[in-house]
Amino acid sequence: MENKTMMKLVVGTEGMFFVALIMAFIYMAYNSGFEPYEVSQLDIKTTGLFTLVLFSSSFTFWMAEKKYKNGDIKSLKIWLIITILFGAIFLFGQGEEYVRLINENITLSGSVFGTSFYALTGFHGLHVFIGLIILLIILILVFLGDFNNSSSNVISTVGIYWHFVDIVWMFVFTVVYVLPKFTKI
Amino acid sequence: MGKFSSLSFYFIQSITNPASFQAERINRVFNSFNIAAAAMLLLVTFLVIFISVKYREKIGDDTEPKQVSGNNVLEAFMIGVPTLLLAYFFYQTIVIEKAIAPGVDKSQQPDVIITGHEWWWEVEYPGSNVITANEVHLPVGKHLLLELRSADVIHDWWVPQLGNKMDLIPKITNHLWLDINMPGDYIGACSEFCGAQHAWMRIKVIAQTERDFNNWLASNTSNGQSPLDSLALTGEKLFQEKTCGSCHRVQGTNATAMVGPDLTHLGSRQEILTGLMKNNQENLFKWINHPQDIKPGAHMPDFILDKDSVAAIAHYLTQLK
Amino acid sequence: MQEIVEIPEPSSSFPGLGVSSDQGLLQWISSVDHKMIGIMYLFVSLLFFVIGGAEALLMRIQLALPMMHFLGPETYNQFFTMHGTTMIFFVAMPAIFGFAVYFVPLMIGANEMAFPRMNAFSLWITLFGGLLLYFSFLAGGAPDAGWFNYAPLNQKNYSSNPGIDYYAMGLLISGIGSVTTSINLVVTILHMRIKNMKLNRLPLFVWMVLVNSFLLLAAFPSLNAALAMLLMDRQFHAHFFNTTNGGSALLWQHLFWIFGHPEVYIVILPPFGILSEVFPVFSRKPIFGYSFIAASSVGIALLAFGVWAHHMFAVGLGNTVDSFFSASSMLIGIPTGVKIFNWLATMYGGKIKFTVSMMFAIAFLIEFTIGGLTGIAFSIVPIDWQLTDTYYVVAHLHYVFIGGTIFGLLAGLFYWFPKMTGRMLDEKSGRWFFWLFVIGFNATFLVQHMLGILGMPRRVYTYPDIPWYGVLNFISTAGAFLMGISMLLLLRIIYKSAKQGKIAGDNPWDAYTLEWTASSPPALKNFDELPEVTGTRPLWDWKHPDKADK
Ligand code: HEA
Ligand code: HEA
Ligand code: HEC
Ligand code: CUA
Ligand SMILES: [Cu+2]
Repeated sequence: MENKTMMKLVVGTEGMFFVALIMAFIYMAYNSGFEPYEVSQLDIKTTGLFTLVLFSSSFTFWMAEKKYKNGDIKSLKIWLIITILFGAIFLFGQGEEYVRLINENITLSGSVFGTSFYALTGFHGLHVFIGLIILLIILILVFLGDFNNSSSNVISTVGIYWHFVDIVWMFVFTVVYVLPKFTKI
Repeated sequence: MGKFSSLSFYFIQSITNPASFQAERINRVFNSFNIAAAAMLLLVTFLVIFISVKYREKIGDDTEPKQVSGNNVLEAFMIGVPTLLLAYFFYQTIVIEKAIAPGVDKSQQPDVIITGHEWWWEVEYPGSNVITANEVHLPVGKHLLLELRSADVIHDWWVPQLGNKMDLIPKITNHLWLDINMPGDYIGACSEFCGAQHAWMRIKVIAQTERDFNNWLASNTSNGQSPLDSLALTGEKLFQEKTCGSCHRVQGTNATAMVGPDLTHLGSRQEILTGLMKNNQENLFKWINHPQDIKPGAHMPDFILDKDSVAAIAHYLTQLK
Repeated sequence: MQEIVEIPEPSSSFPGLGVSSDQGLLQWISSVDHKMIGIMYLFVSLLFFVIGGAEALLMRIQLALPMMHFLGPETYNQFFTMHGTTMIFFVAMPAIFGFAVYFVPLMIGANEMAFPRMNAFSLWITLFGGLLLYFSFLAGGAPDAGWFNYAPLNQKNYSSNPGIDYYAMGLLISGIGSVTTSINLVVTILHMRIKNMKLNRLPLFVWMVLVNSFLLLAAFPSLNAALAMLLMDRQFHAHFFNTTNGGSALLWQHLFWIFGHPEVYIVILPPFGILSEVFPVFSRKPIFGYSFIAASSVGIALLAFGVWAHHMFAVGLGNTVDSFFSASSMLIGIPTGVKIFNWLATMYGGKIKFTVSMMFAIAFLIEFTIGGLTGIAFSIVPIDWQLTDTYYVVAHLHYVFIGGTIFGLLAGLFYWFPKMTGRMLDEKSGRWFFWLFVIGFNATFLVQHMLGILGMPRRVYTYPDIPWYGVLNFISTAGAFLMGISMLLLLRIIYKSAKQGKIAGDNPWDAYTLEWTASSPPALKNFDELPEVTGTRPLWDWKHPDKADK
């Protein structure tokens, strides 16, 4: 119980952190203005695909959790591995996009858009990365047998965090990739 | 100064001694707020003292008092009375905001453009091509529009007797309305912390009748006075040679830069360095000789100049009336 | 009779630490006991108070007379920045956490915090943040752009020494500590209360800590985000706040004050809680309007997020925006007033004992009202347009910080010292301290209202000889030194009382809440078992079963 409450509070305060970052992104867009050319370099289709992968990882984690509750440790392992893979694929996609943009000369220190873009997506990526490390630790513990029978709430606690990371991405994706298609960000 | 009572003479630069329409409106609400606040404070103080005295523990009496834990009618008063009071002051807020800071039509030409620099004020009068620094001449009895900008960090324009402040923010243009109603010299200061010499970014407003103001403006359209004697001539030459011109402007000469204050009519100013020193040859000498000793951190470096050269430059500058 | 409740011991507590073994300093450093951590928090606070106070005294010497040459502008600017930052983040906050971490478990009948090791982590990382901030003095210069560090002055091109990097890193790191402590406190309060202590029976101090922790969790991320952006600007040439390459000067102000205003309530709500314990005990009555005091805190916490732009009235945001924030700021005066009047009503009809703790509580009523009323002055936008960024603001903030926060904390210190040490904090010399401190405080800051009205801006390292400036500043400096002397006296009183003060016993004040059932000082395991809680004043109820609170 305590662990879960703690994780909810962590997620709450981290959520406020992203609210601040997203507000800053929007503020910079309206106040300083982004280069339309730079914004147009974002590839909504590719990133959209990777986004789907990240969202799927929420689903796979949910499956893992369910299997664990049923005491099906073998399926738990499989679903966990898939979750980690999906998370890693998302990060890979983000890395690839960064490389492409940097080759287009869009960098953190290059422009207002670069600054806002890398700060927001970078902080989200960092959270995915931290989530992956936690998941890896859990996976190792599962293989070591720590989760064999006890009805621990660690997995569902971590789940709160992992779903949170996905939900944040939903907002980030909307603000960074989707909205500029409709409004003059 | 005859108009001032003896008390307000001592508090001459106070916000309670208004010299403009704006300051007057604010002073009025400040006064009524002070009365309300004093009443509130007196009430609390009275209750504290009264209760402390009346209900202090008496020696020998070790019974417990009556255990009362609440009263909703009383709570309603605690909420209601302050709410009414605040509602009144909120109403006042809106009315006064509207009166002293009405919107600005972007197409309107301002009467003065003031640009804040670390740590001096650039003053430009659009319409005439007069540029000056630190001492701001303004006419009395006119509905003036000031445009405020910054060249570097955030500064803030404030002359207490003339009313409301306004920030000068890089990349943003702010405006301020001002109706001065009494001629005189008004002092103020930059009121947003802006770095090492924020303390010496003071303001002097010289409010003049419209005629005096127009005379001043006309006399300041002229070029810088050419040297009147040979020492000043040497000074001018040195001024042009020794990089001074790469930061300062003296209208009519090769010195056209605007990094530092305009010096075209420096000689007619009362003070230098925003009030740090009286404007005379001796102080100019001290300053040019060793700027970093006089105003540490100011964006004018120490120069390697011999004493005679400095003296010549200072002499030249005093003639720039 | 009463049902007896056993108090469980959290499983993760006391790893490898013998209860009776005396391991000296190591025992403190390795401790995860909430009481030891609480005391260490208080020492951290005291240490930084002496440092921040010494900085203030040096500043006051420089300001004693017009055109002084005691400190140069660079030093002065570093000092007031460090003074403000230290006092808020490394004095007020650790002191509050110290009392919270020590007394929340005791007051709710628990034996530990929910996460004892995280508790220790929070303490040490807070201290580390403070040391990092102070390391800047050795690393090329302390931060010098004020405690709110406005852009673009906080950029490399205007402040090139590394001080501001240390400011950002120090606050980020100690900020993590504040967030983890708050999480810890919330979980403790929500999950570890003794049976039957429903939320409406929570001692008010615990209520305020609970509300406060939520406030902190919501407010700090905004600062952390701003600091992270600032570091990116300064270290990687990002463009957030650098106006010379497209950044915005105002984004920082918004992000900072969305944090900064809640922050000032973060440092006042727990002291409000302390006072809500002190008033009833020394008036021998229950608190008046329990639910109004609790609810008004929630009101304050919610409103706190809607007032930030009242620090930006002179920015030129326009009359509509200004009016909105004016209204919300005024509204905060109402729940705060409710508290003041409820405390007065608590005293009314009581039998008031003038202990030093109670004297600070009573003095608070007047001093804080002065500070609150000047706050209302600022919320009237036109008045703020005149007085913002003058010494009137300096006066306001010290009246609320000292007359509010510090008075509350001192009331708490005199109230709880016997519980923490087993000895009374000497009441007789305590009275001397009280009067010196109160007189010094008012002498220092009352005149600053006048200076603001006379047009003296804040954050100036010197000023010209304008009528009255010299006199008023001199009085202020003299008052500051009186405070300094009184602080030395306090240090002496604490030292002597801890060594040879009168033995206190478990409940010297005949107080009402659960911490007073533990021994003084409490054993490593606070409680073994307790009678059942039936109201907000369990000890009263047990003592007067016939007159128990309903
Ligand atoms: C403990 C900290 C604390 C507290 C509690 C407060 C309380 C309040 N503050 Fe203050 N404030 C600061 C700390 C605090 N402040 C600091 C540090 C700054 C400066 C930051 C900086 O620039 O460095 C600041 C600056 C500040 C400003 C900006 C000034 C400026 O820079 O221009 C404003 C503007 O509205 C303001 C308003 C208020 C208001 C309305 C309250 C209200 O909450 C006060 C409510 C209390 C009362 C009103 C008194 C009790 C009530 C009654 C007795 C009932 C009857 C009252 C009425 C009917 C009015 N504060
Ligand atoms: C909790 C908060 C808190 C507290 C307690 C204090 C306490 C004091 N403050 Fe502080 N102050 C702030 C918060 C606080 N301040 C903030 C936020 C600012 C704004 C900063 C900014 O603008 O960025 C500020 C700014 C500020 C200024 C304005 C600076 C300026 O604008 O230029 C001044 C000037 O007088 C001042 C003075 C004092 C004094 C004299 C005390 C005294 O009460 C201190 C008393 C304590 C002691 C004296 C310690 C005891 C010392 C010893 C026992 C050792 C003896 C040492 C020697 C004799 C060298 N403070
Ligand atoms: C690098 C730029 C720079 C150079 C070169 C420079 N100045 Fe300055 N000067 C400044 C700045 C900036 C100020 C404003 C200082 C302040 O008040 O903070 C100033 C102020 C002054 C003032 C005071 C003006 C006033 O109204 O207060 C005088 C006089 C002056 N300079 C003369 C000189 C002379 C003579 C030289 C050459 C020997 C010189 N300056 C070279 C930047 C420069
Ligand atoms: Cu310019 Cu302060
Ligand atoms: Cu505020």
